Amino acid sequence: MLNPLPVERWDDRAAAHLLNRAAFGATPEEIAVTKAKGLAGAVLDLVEPRVSALPFDPPDWAHPRDLRSLRQEARMAKQNGDTTKIREVRKTEADEILDLRRWWMARMATTAAPLLEKMTLFWHGHFATSVEKVKDGYWMWLQNETIRRHALANFAALTKEMSRDPAMMIYLDLPQSRREHPNENWARELMELFTVGIGNYTEQDVRESARAFTGYRLDLVTQRFWFAPNQYDAGPKTFLGRTGNFNGDDIIHFLTKQPACAQFLAKKLCRFFFEEEPSPSLINAVAERLHAHDLEIKPVLCEIFSSAEFYSDRVMRAQIKSPTQFIIQSCKLLSCDLPGPRVAQNAMRQMGQILFAPPNVKGWDGGKSWISTSTLLFRNNFANYLINGDAILPPAMKRQGADVGFRGAARAAFVDEIRRNPIDVNRLVSADMRNNAQRLIANLSKRVLQSDPPSDDMAAFTNFLAARKDDSSDATVRGLLHLMMSTPLYQLT
Amino acid sequence: MSNTLHTRRKFLRTSMLGAAASWTLPVFLEKTFFALDALAADAMTQATSGRDDTILVVLQLAGGNDGLNSVVPFVDDAYHRVRPKLALPPDKILKLDSEIGLNPRLTGLKSLYDSGQLAIVQGVGYPNPNRSHFRSAEIWQTASDADRVKNEGWLGRYFDNCCRGAEPTVGVAISEQSPQAFSAKIPTGVTFSHPEQFRWKASMGADGKPLSEEEAFYRQLIGGAEEKPSLAADGNSISSLPGKFHNDATTEDFLRRTALDAQLSSDKILAIARKYKSNVPYPQTPLGASLNLIGRMIAGGLATRVYYASQGGFDTHAGQIGSHDRLMAVVNEAIAAFVADLKQQGNFERVLLMTFSEFGRRVAENANNGTDHGTAAPMFLLGGRVKPGLFGKQPSLTDLDNGDLKFNIDFRSVYASVLDNWLGAPSQLVLGRKFSTLPIV
Repeated sequence: MLNPLPVERWDDRAAAHLLNRAAFGATPEEIAVTKAKGLAGAVLDLVEPRVSALPFDPPDWAHPRDLRSLRQEARMAKQNGDTTKIREVRKTEADEILDLRRWWMARMATTAAPLLEKMTLFWHGHFATSVEKVKDGYWMWLQNETIRRHALANFAALTKEMSRDPAMMIYLDLPQSRREHPNENWARELMELFTVGIGNYTEQDVRESARAFTGYRLDLVTQRFWFAPNQYDAGPKTFLGRTGNFNGDDIIHFLTKQPACAQFLAKKLCRFFFEEEPSPSLINAVAERLHAHDLEIKPVLCEIFSSAEFYSDRVMRAQIKSPTQFIIQSCKLLSCDLPGPRVAQNAMRQMGQILFAPPNVKGWDGGKSWISTSTLLFRNNFANYLINGDAILPPAMKRQGADVGFRGAARAAFVDEIRRNPIDVNRLVSADMRNNAQRLIANLSKRVLQSDPPSDDMAAFTNFLAARKDDSSDATVRGLLHLMMSTPLYQLT
Repeated sequence: MSNTLHTRRKFLRTSMLGAAASWTLPVFLEKTFFALDALAADAMTQATSGRDDTILVVLQLAGGNDGLNSVVPFVDDAYHRVRPKLALPPDKILKLDSEIGLNPRLTGLKSLYDSGQLAIVQGVGYPNPNRSHFRSAEIWQTASDADRVKNEGWLGRYFDNCCRGAEPTVGVAISEQSPQAFSAKIPTGVTFSHPEQFRWKASMGADGKPLSEEEAFYRQLIGGAEEKPSLAADGNSISSLPGKFHNDATTEDFLRRTALDAQLSSDKILAIARKYKSNVPYPQTPLGASLNLIGRMIAGGLATRVYYASQGGFDTHAGQIGSHDRLMAVVNEAIAAFVADLKQQGNFERVLLMTFSEFGRRVAENANNGTDHGTAAPMFLLGGRVKPGLFGKQPSLTDLDNGDLKFNIDFRSVYASVLDNWLGAPSQLVLGRKFSTLPIV
């Protein structure tokens, strides 16, 4: 049972917390607007954004192509010693995935429906699929759109969609599954990682359900799913103690009806929205709500975001920002543009979260695993770059993009992209803030940390301004912002 | 051990409380001290002094190194038959015995072999081999079975299980991105390609110079003020605010401690990089630069058990003859310089360098004068105390599995040998089960 948040506890801090977790953070002005809506109004705006059309066109390259001919041509050319075609195919793949990352991050940063993007990110980690194996931008985009369409809807329906999703099918070898040789990869991960978790099925269940997913095929000409009846094993299967001529959808139906499924999903939602190590009672409470709503996600999220548990001290400002959240929220707070796509991709790689390329089918571990000495220093230095622009970069990187992993034209493009001006400080601070050190600290701290700083941090900020002799130049304000964004507290949301 | 800890603790307290600023010892540090004392009782925790422990250097040959043209079965007719263009001429081979020899470019490795400092394990692989770079590299990095996915790397599990309380520099990867082998429950190890970039950088002043005040107060902020990297005689760092504990009271404590770890490690690494330069000339290649940096860190006594470097470009599907020879030369020259450097330092006895690649290549060459993804391949292990020789059998070139070699030694047996007999870490705990070991170290 989740307890509703008492009305009197809905304040700026709670509103900031809601926008941090259910969206990608917000400016003090946006937080004030959300606070004024009241809790119910604020939650409603997140789950039912009042925008008639979401004005996000697909990337212009995102349409199916005849992959079979393309690949055949490239292979033929290669056999004749001409590797240009195959290089073209690979370059297209790299360009498209780079653009897809840009497209999604821009969408996360500017959308009027941020919860939808947050949940799409959640499901991307849950149904983790990597372009490293799929090797096609269109299919990765298509999966992203399919997830978005179901992100706030029904989990069983989403799972069925994923079983027919071309990117997922390739990632888990489903198109190679034949009646005589069912491939168990998808069937195993469906149970272990997507629905019920280890310990809630047997090896026999894996083998039997793999038979139910035979006949799932991809048409390389239209890039679409199709079902091949002659490859499908229509015979009786025994699964979770029942016997019948089950097909793939039946298997997903049985799995999602298991109490273990609500429990498994609840734990993942708790880790994503509440805390890294949620208590069993919290998991049970959320599992119970998932069960009550028949795995409909939206009503459960409404209850989570309206609960006292969600706004408890142990939950607020205690979650380590994912690299995605770090970049998007930082740019929001600084009121600056997102970095260019290659710069962002490189930064995400160094911070350990490359969208559309999770490390494996388990997705990202999240939490403390985001933070090592190296990634933490990188975060601090990347904040410095966002604030101060390319002036802080080593000349070699500006000149030749040294060590960024791009080659040839892409490296030149990277060098072009990393040029960046410092932020416009006047967009963040007024003249009267500059005249008063305490006011400056309080205002920027509210913007960056959504709270007053702890006393030790406060002392460091005050001493810094004092050492700068209360100079209120742009450079000092940028230095203070960078100091705030280098605090351990800034890594939390 | 407990004595050392109390000394460190005293040093830390003194230096921190002695700091001029008006702030007190952070609560999380107090808690860390208690944890430290408890930890001293934990026999699993390995000491890392940086001066006298054994060191493992892992060298990844990324892309799938052609094992058959590295360690060559030069008398085998099948080799010449299926590789009419790519087979290396027998008279050029650096012969190890009457049947097996090294690629002509591996002259440095040949001398090591002759002086009894190189072990070659032949036919290394794993059951149900995967031919995807991505997946097979993951299998090698996580030491998992082919049909099981693990998140933690094999070295990460070594850090988690055996190096709690060690400094974060216990693992050092010379790279832009942390290798998956380092993935751990509690992230450990540092990753950088240039020491100057592994450090916190201040904002820019109007004069285009860094704001020096900002760095001072950044140090105050994370509790690292007044810490100066000391390269004291015991080499055992500093300050040694020990690394990773599982018992941080809050996530914020964890972040504060990691920030302090980062600062102390970065100070130390930068100080060593500035102070230690090698007299031995290294080749002007990225791998040469990586091994040079590792050589300097070893000379400076960085508290490290595992270094990691990599060389890419081994995915030789086409035009292999020139490119693979060039790669062999790159590897050979960098290793030769590294060995000479370590010998000059007097540290060669403490270092074991191990190479691996995600797979070998198809036995038969393809139509583009290249080779496609394969399976089993040899591994090189070299160092002052290695047990030299050829281990395992060269897999048959005619009894194949879909055109690929059948492995005869599981790569995890090599890992187990290194863990048990070189790092002194219980391999069963790290690898999740018992693998037989080889007498290579």
